[in-house]
Amino acid sequence: MSATMASAEPLVPPEIVSSIFYGAAVSDTLVLLVAEMVGGTPRITWGNEGATQLLGYGLADLRSLPVASLVPTLRGGEVKLLLRRERSARMNLPVRTASGALVETVVLCVPTPSGRMWTLRLVPVDSESERALRATADAHEQRFATLTERSPVPTLLSEQGMRLAHVNDAFCSLVGLQSEQLLGTGWMSTVHPDDLDGVIEQVVAVLGGGDGETKARLVRTDGTERTTVIRFSHLFTPGVGAGFVGTIEDITDRLAFEARLEHQANHDPLTGLPNRTLLAEHVAERFRPGTSGLAVLFLDLDNFKVVNDSLGHAAGDELLVEVAARLRATVRPGDLVARFGGDEFVVVCEGVDQDDAVTLAERIGAALAEPVRLGGVDVRPYASVGVTVQTAEHGAAEELVRDCDIAMYQAKAGGKGRITVLDQRARAEARDKLRLVAELRQAIERREITLLYQPIFSTADGTPVAVESLARWHHPTRGAISPGVFVALAEESGLIGPLGLLVLDETCRQLAEWDRLLGTSAPGQANVNVSALQLDPNLHGSVVAALERHGLHPTRLSIEITESALMKDPASAREVLMQLRDLGVSLAIDDFGTGYSSLAYLRHLPVDCLKVDRSFVAELAEGHAEIASAVIALARSLDLKTVAEGVETEEQAAQLTALGAGFLQGFDLAQPMTGHRTTAWYAAHAR
Amino acid sequence: MTVTLLPGAPVPTTLAAAPAFDLEAVLASIDTMAAQKPVAAQIVSIANSDDTDARTLAQTLASDVALAGRVMKLANSAYFGMRGRVTSLQFAVTVVGFTTVRTMATVALTDLDDESRLPADFWRMSTCVALGASTLAPRFGERPQDALCLGLLAPLGVALLHHNDSDGYAELAAAEPTAVGLRAAEVRRYGIHAFRLTAVALEQWGFPPSMVTPLSAVDDLAGVDGALLRVALELAARLTVEDHVPVPVEELTSGQLREDAVPPVLDKVRAEADELRLAMLGE
Repeated sequence: MSATMASAEPLVPPEIVSSIFYGAAVSDTLVLLVAEMVGGTPRITWGNEGATQLLGYGLADLRSLPVASLVPTLRGGEVKLLLRRERSARMNLPVRTASGALVETVVLCVPTPSGRMWTLRLVPVDSESERALRATADAHEQRFATLTERSPVPTLLSEQGMRLAHVNDAFCSLVGLQSEQLLGTGWMSTVHPDDLDGVIEQVVAVLGGGDGETKARLVRTDGTERTTVIRFSHLFTPGVGAGFVGTIEDITDRLAFEARLEHQANHDPLTGLPNRTLLAEHVAERFRPGTSGLAVLFLDLDNFKVVNDSLGHAAGDELLVEVAARLRATVRPGDLVARFGGDEFVVVCEGVDQDDAVTLAERIGAALAEPVRLGGVDVRPYASVGVTVQTAEHGAAEELVRDCDIAMYQAKAGGKGRITVLDQRARAEARDKLRLVAELRQAIERREITLLYQPIFSTADGTPVAVESLARWHHPTRGAISPGVFVALAEESGLIGPLGLLVLDETCRQLAEWDRLLGTSAPGQANVNVSALQLDPNLHGSVVAALERHGLHPTRLSIEITESALMKDPASAREVLMQLRDLGVSLAIDDFGTGYSSLAYLRHLPVDCLKVDRSFVAELAEGHAEIASAVIALARSLDLKTVAEGVETEEQAAQLTALGAGFLQGFDLAQPMTGHRTTAWYAAHAR
Repeated sequence: MTVTLLPGAPVPTTLAAAPAFDLEAVLASIDTMAAQKPVAAQIVSIANSDDTDARTLAQTLASDVALAGRVMKLANSAYFGMRGRVTSLQFAVTVVGFTTVRTMATVALTDLDDESRLPADFWRMSTCVALGASTLAPRFGERPQDALCLGLLAPLGVALLHHNDSDGYAELAAAEPTAVGLRAAEVRRYGIHAFRLTAVALEQWGFPPSMVTPLSAVDDLAGVDGALLRVALELAARLTVEDHVPVPVEELTSGQLREDAVPPVLDKVRAEADELRLAMLGE
């Protein structure tokens, strides 16, 4: 009761005082004692009902009980710590009961103003409900401890900042330390120094409330590193402060697996070198248009096929692995060595000029030329190397690699084991060729490839019996382009199919038109040249389609195939020719005698006609009729017709007729003409 | 009583006459101190409450700039491992914990932060006790942070006795090389030993029994309550007292701690003590 209240209301009515006293005296929940100094010793002089119940003393025994024997832990003069003269005291003390048992209590002691008497209130601290609550809390704590202790998930528990109060066995074994070494801030030394800041940042965020996670490397005692994800959760302990629970997921193996997968996707399994995908990325990352200093070396092993064919694929693989190792050992640190495919390798260097790149190419050539022992045989793996250094003209990374590829082919074409730098001129030529291919494609699509027709005459009566279709390309800016150039270009660039179809279709169309315009005077047959690349199972269908489209009988068409084309794959060529022959189309072998055809094959091929090459015809003028004579004789003996090409003089015509050639074709007899001119020519000839 | 004298120490003919030592006056002086430092007193009274939150505590703490500065400094010390990331007082309170804030307020309240009024090496000793207790706490099933605070405040009684009887206490301490002997001498001279005096003061301020009980039980060698404090005091003595004769820790802990576990703990305490002392004193 405060003094101010006492002064404001100095008189509490006596009946209220007595009522309160009565209530306190008989209460069994309130424990009250009064102590006084009696003969220099503090003694209990009064106790209420609650006191007699708690302490087990009768009221008579309680009176005069020394305070010291009630609170045995206050030894010597310590009783006065409780019985203070001028202020109240509060102490946690065990109180001795009549039976000698000790009861834990909080003792609150208030002195009277005289300083000789005290009121003591005892509050037992171990009430049933408190015990039950503590037991529940202990059980929770125990459960949590067991859960984390046995958990295979490494777990940290902090009750204050970064200081750990607890780590489980799983964390100890993850880092290889004892818990004593990790508690407090000890665990921080296991976090990789570069990752510690990130961990602290997360802890700062989590201590403020909420959750968070971070990736961190943990360094084990043996020095090895484990990459982990640490997940933090906020932890608040009332009356204590904020901490965190951290669980750790070791992702080292998962990352390693992912890295392995990525490596496999970007590397060649045989040599372990980066593959084409990685090469493209590598060059693209470093390519800055308009700068220089990036160089690409493209290597192709010479005669690798020979090794594979003669010593087997295992030896071939061994050679590739050895070459990869030598390349890696020869290039500068930081240069990239990639396997482009097959026996092709690419080296990419930065910060070099053309001379440096060529020096490196020479060094590589020398390193490769050391013999390798494969299957008991010493092999010297020479390589053709194309070198390209980035210039202002390179607009994209792919152009650099493509130029290098061109340089390598030029190196190979120039003789094996060479180094070729794709210089300004060569690059221009290569680009020009690419442009020409594009224009050829366009010309075919727009049917700008035109045909000329050269009549073929019978030696029997001098009448024109057929024409040969000859493709011509008149380029809008370059003028006439030789068939030798554009046919070869079409073959290289995959345009031979469309070109062949164009010639076949246009010839048939023209034949049909001549029939319409000239009637019986129209040319009886047209000869169409077919490239070796067209000799496939599709040819038959294409011929049938063209004939049907223009309503022509198959006998109106003769297909000319060069001798060398036939000899590339005689078996399948024979198959295709048989189909055409069955269709009724005539077949002629062009340029006969210039190749290396086997006469045995010739006998089995379903051909009707041999064309004597113009070179043998030309020899007639020099007095050499031997080969022309032999070819004509051979044809006759195999029951084949003969057409002599390149007849330029009347003498040659007479001579060939005398040798027995059945048909003649040449400048002297009739020049190649457009379809329109041919119509007029045939019309005039008929008259 | 056997008085062991240090070699070279002046031989006292007799102890200075016991002053009219009034325990009541000593305890009353604590109240006076509280009146002089109301903010610290307020923190001491609110920090232990279960419904205290960091914001309230930080708001109160902010009124005492010196104390707030020390709490910030401690929160950023190596001891808590936060590496300077603690930039707000509220977060500092969260990091160091409420009990620690309260302990620091108690230090301010009782003038323990004024080294000129303390026995020599007082803070070196108390930080070593604190770190020793905190490091070993998990082995004894105690919370490290409570053990740290207990260790920091345990020598409060020594400071009070020294404050009220500086010459007599210095003489008494010099004459008693063992901890047990010193406590017995304190009881003889003052009617109470220093740790018991600390316990009384802490109890008065409402510190929890977990911090008061070990101080009262420090002499009960068979009991577990005082074991952690006993061994922490022993380790601190090994680190700070010249010519200290080690008492085997097995004896002090009823075999709970073995001597071979001690060296790493000593290393750790030695490494961290200085920084903790500087943070506590705000230097």
